Amino acid sequence: MQSVLAPHGPEAAAVARLGWAMFAGGALICLALVVLVFLAIRGGAGSRRVIASERFLIWSGIFVPVVVLAGLLSWGLVLTGARIAPPSPGALQIEVIGEQWWWRVRYGTEAAQKFETANELRIPVGRDVELTLVSRDVIHSFWVPSLAGKVDMIPGMTNRLRLHATEAGIFRGQCAEYCGGPHALMSFHVVALEVDAFEAWLAAQRRPAEAPATDQSVFFSTGCHGCHTVRGTNAVGTIGPDLTHVAGRLSLGAATLPTGAVNFGRWVRENQHLKPGNRMPSFGFLSAGEVDRLATYLDGLK
Amino acid sequence: MTEKRSPLPNRLPRPKGELALLEKAWKVPEGWRLLTAVNNTYIGVFYIGAALLFFILAGVLALVMRLQLAVPGNEIVGQGTYNQLFTMHGTVMMFLFAVPVVEAIGVMLLPQMLGARDLPFPRLSAFAFWAYLVGGLFFFSSLFMGLAPDGGWFMYPPLTSSRYSPGDNSDFWLLGIGFIEISAIAGAIEIIVGIMRTRAPGMTLDKMPIFAWAMLVFAGMIVFAFPAVILATMLLELERSFQWPFFIADKGGDPLLWQHLFWFFGHPEVYIIFLPAAGMVSMIVPTMTGVPLVGYRLIVVALVATGFFSFGLWVHHMFTTGIPGLSLAFFSAASMVVTIPSAMQVFSWIATMASGRLRLTVPSLFVLGFLAVFVIGGLTGVMVAMVPFDWQVHDTYFIVAHLHYVLYGGMVFPLFAALYYWAPAFSKRRLSETLGRWSFALQFIGVNLAYFPMHFAGLAGMPRRVYTYPAGLGWDLPNLLSTVGAFIIALGVLLCLVDLARNFRFSASDAVGDVWKAGTLEWLPNGIYGPRSIPIVEDREPLWYRPTLADEVEEGRYFLPGTKTGGRETLVTTPFDAAPDYVLLVPGPSWRSFWAAIFMAAFFLLLTVKLVVPAMACGVLSLGFVVAWLWQTDPGPGPKLAIGAGIRLPSYRTGSSSHSWWAMIVLVLVAASLFVALAFSYFYIWSVSPQVWPQAASDRLPDLSWAATTAVILVAGSIALLFADWALKRGGTGAGRWALRATLLLAVAALGTACFLEFCAQWQVGLRPADSSYAALVYTFTVVQGQLVAAFILMGLYTIARSMTGKLNAARRVTFDNTKCLGHYAVAQGLVGLFIVHVSPRLAL
Amino acid sequence: MPSWLPPLGMLLRCAAVLAVVAIVGGFLTIWSGFYSVAASRGHWPGFELVLEFAMRSSVRTHALLIQVPQIDRPEQARRGAGHFQQACAPCHGSPAGPSMLVARSMLPPPSDLKDLVPTWKTRELFWIVKNGLKYTGMPTWPTQQRDDEVWDTVAFLRELPAMSRERYRELAGFAATDEAPSRTPDEARLASCARCHGDDGRGRDTTAFPRLDIQTAPYLLDQLKAYANGTRASGFMQAATAELSAREMAWLAEHYAKARPAAAAPPLEADSLRRQGEALFRSGAPEQGVPACAACHGAKAADRDLRYPALLGQYASHTKTQLELFKQGARNTTEAAPLMTTIAQRMTDEQVRAVAAYLAAEPAR
Repeated sequence: MQSVLAPHGPEAAAVARLGWAMFAGGALICLALVVLVFLAIRGGAGSRRVIASERFLIWSGIFVPVVVLAGLLSWGLVLTGARIAPPSPGALQIEVIGEQWWWRVRYGTEAAQKFETANELRIPVGRDVELTLVSRDVIHSFWVPSLAGKVDMIPGMTNRLRLHATEAGIFRGQCAEYCGGPHALMSFHVVALEVDAFEAWLAAQRRPAEAPATDQSVFFSTGCHGCHTVRGTNAVGTIGPDLTHVAGRLSLGAATLPTGAVNFGRWVRENQHLKPGNRMPSFGFLSAGEVDRLATYLDGLK
Repeated sequence: MTEKRSPLPNRLPRPKGELALLEKAWKVPEGWRLLTAVNNTYIGVFYIGAALLFFILAGVLALVMRLQLAVPGNEIVGQGTYNQLFTMHGTVMMFLFAVPVVEAIGVMLLPQMLGARDLPFPRLSAFAFWAYLVGGLFFFSSLFMGLAPDGGWFMYPPLTSSRYSPGDNSDFWLLGIGFIEISAIAGAIEIIVGIMRTRAPGMTLDKMPIFAWAMLVFAGMIVFAFPAVILATMLLELERSFQWPFFIADKGGDPLLWQHLFWFFGHPEVYIIFLPAAGMVSMIVPTMTGVPLVGYRLIVVALVATGFFSFGLWVHHMFTTGIPGLSLAFFSAASMVVTIPSAMQVFSWIATMASGRLRLTVPSLFVLGFLAVFVIGGLTGVMVAMVPFDWQVHDTYFIVAHLHYVLYGGMVFPLFAALYYWAPAFSKRRLSETLGRWSFALQFIGVNLAYFPMHFAGLAGMPRRVYTYPAGLGWDLPNLLSTVGAFIIALGVLLCLVDLARNFRFSASDAVGDVWKAGTLEWLPNGIYGPRSIPIVEDREPLWYRPTLADEVEEGRYFLPGTKTGGRETLVTTPFDAAPDYVLLVPGPSWRSFWAAIFMAAFFLLLTVKLVVPAMACGVLSLGFVVAWLWQTDPGPGPKLAIGAGIRLPSYRTGSSSHSWWAMIVLVLVAASLFVALAFSYFYIWSVSPQVWPQAASDRLPDLSWAATTAVILVAGSIALLFADWALKRGGTGAGRWALRATLLLAVAALGTACFLEFCAQWQVGLRPADSSYAALVYTFTVVQGQLVAAFILMGLYTIARSMTGKLNAARRVTFDNTKCLGHYAVAQGLVGLFIVHVSPRLAL
Repeated sequence: MPSWLPPLGMLLRCAAVLAVVAIVGGFLTIWSGFYSVAASRGHWPGFELVLEFAMRSSVRTHALLIQVPQIDRPEQARRGAGHFQQACAPCHGSPAGPSMLVARSMLPPPSDLKDLVPTWKTRELFWIVKNGLKYTGMPTWPTQQRDDEVWDTVAFLRELPAMSRERYRELAGFAATDEAPSRTPDEARLASCARCHGDDGRGRDTTAFPRLDIQTAPYLLDQLKAYANGTRASGFMQAATAELSAREMAWLAEHYAKARPAAAAPPLEADSLRRQGEALFRSGAPEQGVPACAACHGAKAADRDLRYPALLGQYASHTKTQLELFKQGARNTTEAAPLMTTIAQRMTDEQVRAVAAYLAAEPAR
C-alpha cells in the first residue's frame, strides 16, 4: 500500500526497475569485492600479484567505475527528464496545501466546480494528474511511493508533481519531511478510480451537503463551524478540514484512524490523545449523548 | 663555540643530565594541576576520552529510540521526547563525537608521527578541548531539562524559526553548537600548521605518512566548510532573536537558503569525518601486511580529489525541493564522480593486502569490517545519487541505513581499529586480542542486523523521524530486527569499554611500544617529550629501512637531543623540503587557556538561556584570559641555538616564515569563507526574491557618497597600517615608537569608523533589518564586518600595549605582523562588502 | 596545611565527635520539652527580634527579582478592597472595624497594617500576600496562578495607611450591606456577593468586576462550583464561595441570571481597535488558527452550548485578564477551558485588547 517496490504508476515502476537493477549490480560488486579480498589475503601468488599491480588498481579503481557510473547516470538522467517534463494538456489539476499536520486538497479551477476536501485524493485511472504543492507553514513533503517519488512543499515556493495510476486501487502516502510534533501521523490516501466512478465521485463532491436526517444542533452549539466548513449550511470555517463529505473519506486525522461513527466520536473527544499536539483541541467535556449525536451527524455527511 | 659540521647520527655520547633536563622541561603537572596540561598526548587522550563519552551517550539515546520503534504504536517515550532524542542523537554524534574524535586522534598522533615533540600551539588545543568538553556536557544536559532541540539535527527553518519553535530549545542548538564549531576550527589551524611546518628534517611531503595527508585535507576542508554553517547558525539566531527574516518567505526570505548553507557544510562534513578514518586504515594495512602502501601517490591524489569534489555535491541533499533539471543533473553526476577516488583507495588497500601477508589481528579485523560495511554504504550512496531513486528514498529509512553504513562502517570501525592499533604506543598494557575479537564480531553482526533491514523499511515506505508507525505496512519486522541489532552493537561497544577499563593505562613515556613492527615514527620509543631526538627522515617507513633508528633516536644522536633554553623545543622546517628552519619554543602548562575556554563556554551557554548580563561578564573574563595568554607569546629573538650537526638556528622568525603568520593566514581563509557564504546568501536571495530589492535608486538605497566615504576611510586604514609597518621597521627612539602607536591607533579608528558609517548609511535611509530579507542581509554585512573589526580593534590595542611595554620592536614583530594581516584583510573584506551592498543593486537598476 | 593547625586526621575526628554530640544533645533537649511553646507566654527576650530580622531578610531576598507592574488603576484597589473585607479584615482589622478577638490572641498577632505596610516595599508585599509566612498564621494565596489578584490586593494595601473609614467603606462596597436589616439567609449571602458584584450583577457602577447579568444560570452555577473547589483558580472567588452550600449557589446563580442586562457602556477605546475586535469576533484570524469568537460565543443563549459564557457586553478588563490567563495556561482546568487555552495562545496581545474593547462596547444579547 505504501511501498516503493510495489509500483502502480509509470514513474514508480521505472524507479522500481532501476532500484532492482542497482540492487543486483550492487550485490554483484559486493560479492566481487568479498572474493577479491579473500584472494588478496589467502589466494595464490599469481592472483595476488595481479591484484597488487598498479594496472589492476587503475582498471578496477578508475576505469570500471567510470564506465558503470556513466551508464547509470545516463539512465538516471533520462528518468529525471521524464518527470520534470512540462504537464500534459489534458491533465487533472489538484492543489494540495500542506499544513501542520494535515493535507488541504482543492479541486477545480472554475468557481462553480471548485471544492475542497482533506487528507485524501481521488484520481481517475489512466489519466495524468498534475498536483500543485504548497505549504502554509513549515516544510512538508508529499509522497505516495506506489505512484511516484516525493516533492517537498516549501513555504514561498510552488512545486509540481505528476501522478498517474495505471490501475484502480488505494495507495497510502505520508509526509516525508519532518515538520515537528506529530509528523509521524501526517499521512493520506490516494484512491484511483475507474473513469466513470471518478466522474460520479467528482459530481457528488461538488454538491453541497444534503439536508441532514439527524440532529445537527450539537455541531453548531459546540462551535465546530468556527473552524470547519460544511457546504450548504452556515458552517464556513476555514481553519480545519472541510467536512462536507467527510464520511465518504477513508480516514480521519490525516490517516490516523478510519472513518465511522465510533471513530468520529473518539476523534472529537480525545484527538489530543490520538494525535498529540495536533491543531484541533479535544472536546472531552461533551457528554456521551452529545458526542453520539455529533458523530451520527458527521457520519451522515457522505 | 661551534661544533664541526659532523653528519648525523652523532657518534658522540650525550652529556649527563641532558635527558633529565629534557624530562623536566616537558613534565606534565600532577594532581588537579593536570587541568593545565598541554602536551599533545595528554590533550589527545582527554579528547578521545571525551569523544568516546559522547559516543556512548548518543548511543544510549539511539537505544531508547530503537526500543520505542521496536513495535508499532509503542509508548515508551512520547512524541515530544522522541523528537528531542533523534535531534540530539544526530547532533551529538556529528558534532560532539565524529569530528572531535578524528581531530583528537590527529592531536594525539600527528606530532610524534611527524617526528615533532608537540603541536605548534599546544594551548590552543587545550583551549579547544576544554571548551568542547564543558560546552558539550551542558548541551547534552539540556535533555534532562526538557530543553533539548527538537528540530532534527539539520534544524530546517521555518520549523526552527521562532514562530514554530518558540521555546529555547533551538537556541540551545544554535549557540551550543556554534562554539563547538569554533573548537573544530582551532584544531584545524593547529593541524595545518603542524603538518606543514613541524615535520622532521628530510620528511618531504612525498615521504609524509599517509595519515598526515588525510589530516591535512581534513583540516583544509574544515577551514572552507565550517564557516558556511557558522554563518547559517548566526542568521537563524538573528532571525529567532530579532526577527531578521532570512528564511521567512513572506518577507522575501527563503527556507532553501538554510539548506544551501547547511549542506555546503554538511556534505564536506561527512568526508571530514571519513578521510581521517581512511588515513588511519592506510596506516594500519601496511603494518599488518608488512609491506609499504601500494599506490601511495594515487591515494594522496584520491584524498585531495575527494576533499575537493566533496564541495561540489551539496545539492544532492535537496533533490526533492523542486530545483531545476540542470542542477539535478550536475549534482547527480558530481555525486557519482566522488565515489571514484574512494574506490581507488579501496583497491589500493586490497592491493597492499595482496602484496604481503595480512596478519589477522583485531585492527585488521576492524579494517576488514570497515571495508565490507563502508563499501555497502558507498554502493547505496551511488543508488541515492541517482535522482529518480532519491526521489523515492530521500527522507526515508533507506537514507538512515545508508548514512549509518558509511558513518559506522567508514569511521567507527576504523576508529576501533585505530584504538587497538595505537593503544600499545600510549598504554602500559596492550588491549586484549580476545575481547577485541568479540567486540568486533558483535559490532559487525550488530551493524548489519541493525541497519540492513532499514533499507527495506525505507523502501516499504517508512519515512525518517517518526516516533511511531502503524502496524500492517510491512515495517514491523525490519524495525524489530533493527532494535535487536542495535543492542548487539551496544554489547560489542561495551566489551571494548571493558577492555579499555581493564587494560588501557595511559602513559606517554612508559608504553608497551611497537608490538606490530610498524614503520612510522610514532612508534619510536618516546618519552613524555616525544622522541628523544628529532631524526632525519629518508623513507616513508623510517623504522623499516633503518632498523637502528629507534636506538639512535633514543640515545639522542639526532637533532635537539636536549633542551637548549631549559624549556620545550621542537623544530620548524620548511613546508616542502622539510629543511630545518628554526627552533619553535613550545609553551608549557597554563591556567590561562583553561579558564579562557571555561568562560567562553559559559558565555555561549548563558546567552542560550537569555541571561545576557552574566553572559557578557563571562565573555569579558574569557577575553581577559585570552589576552593574558597571548601576552606570554611572541618572546622575541634570542641567541641562535645549536640543534646538532653543527647547525645553529634562530628561535624566532618573523615574516611569512613564521608559524604564527601561517596560523593567521588560515584564520583569514576562515573569515573569507564566511564572507563568501554571506555573499552567496545575498545573491541567492536576490535571485529568489527580487521584489524586496531596491527597485529604484531612491528606494532606500543610501547615496553613493556614503559608500565612497567609507571606502576612502577603509583604504586610509590600510595606508595607516603600511605606515605603521614602516615606522616599526625603522625602529629607533621615542618618536619612531610613537609614530608606530599613532598609526596603529589611526588604523583601528579608521576601521571602526568605517564600520559605524556603513551602519549609519543604512539606518539614516530608513532601512531596518526586520523589514525584509534584503534589509536583513545588508545589515548582516555590517555585523560580519563588525565582528572582524572588533577583533582587529582588540588586536590593535593589544599591539599598542605591547609596544608601550617594550615588547614590540623591529626584530620582535610577530604580534604586529598578525595584526596587520587581519587589518588588511578586514579592509579588503570591507571594500568588497561595500561593492556588493551599494554598487551591485545599482548595476541591476 | 598550615603548620599551626593540628593534623588533618585529628581535625576530622574532632569534627565527627562534635557533630554526634550536637545531634544527640539537640534531640535530648527537644525531647525534654524544656522549651515552652506557649503563645500565652510570649518569646524569650531578644528572640522576637531575631525572628523578625530573619523574616525581613528572607522576604527581602526572595522578592528581589519581582517586577512591579502598574498598580495605580482604581479598579485594582477596588477589587483588592472587596477581597480584603472578606478575607483579611477578620484577622487584621480594617478602617471600618477591629479584628476578631481570637486573631488578636495569636503569636505573632496579625499586624495592624496601617502602620506596617509603609515599612515594606511593594514587591515584598506582593511576595508576602502570595506566599504567606511560615510560623505565623498568614496564609498563602489560595492559588499560585493568579498574580493579578495578588497585585490588586497590593494596590489596595498601598492606599490603606492613608485611607479614611468612609473611603474604605465605599471601596469595599459597604453600601450594599447596610440595607434592610431583616433579610432571608439567601439575601444575606447575596449582600456579601453584592459588595463587589452589585445586586444586579453589573458591578456597582464600575467595570472592576465581571458582569454577571449577561450569563445563564447553568453557567454561573458551574463557575461557582469550580471556584469553590479550586478547579477554577481564583483567590478572590474561592474565599467568597468556599462556604456556600449547593442550594445557596443555585439560588445565587438564578438571581444573577434573571437580572436584565442593561445597555452597553459608552465606548472608551479607539474606534480602530474596536473594529479590529469586531472583525476578530465575527470572522476570527484563520491564518493564525483563531476561529471566529461568534461561532461559540455569539449565538443567542438558546443556540449556544451552556458551558460557553456569553461575551457581549463583558467589561474589557475582565475579558483581557481571562484571555491572558488562558494564554499562560492558568485557566486550563475547567471543562471547556482547554479549547480557549489553545485559541488564546494563537492570539497576539493586540488582538486580545481589540476583542476586549469590542465586547465591552456591545449590548448584551
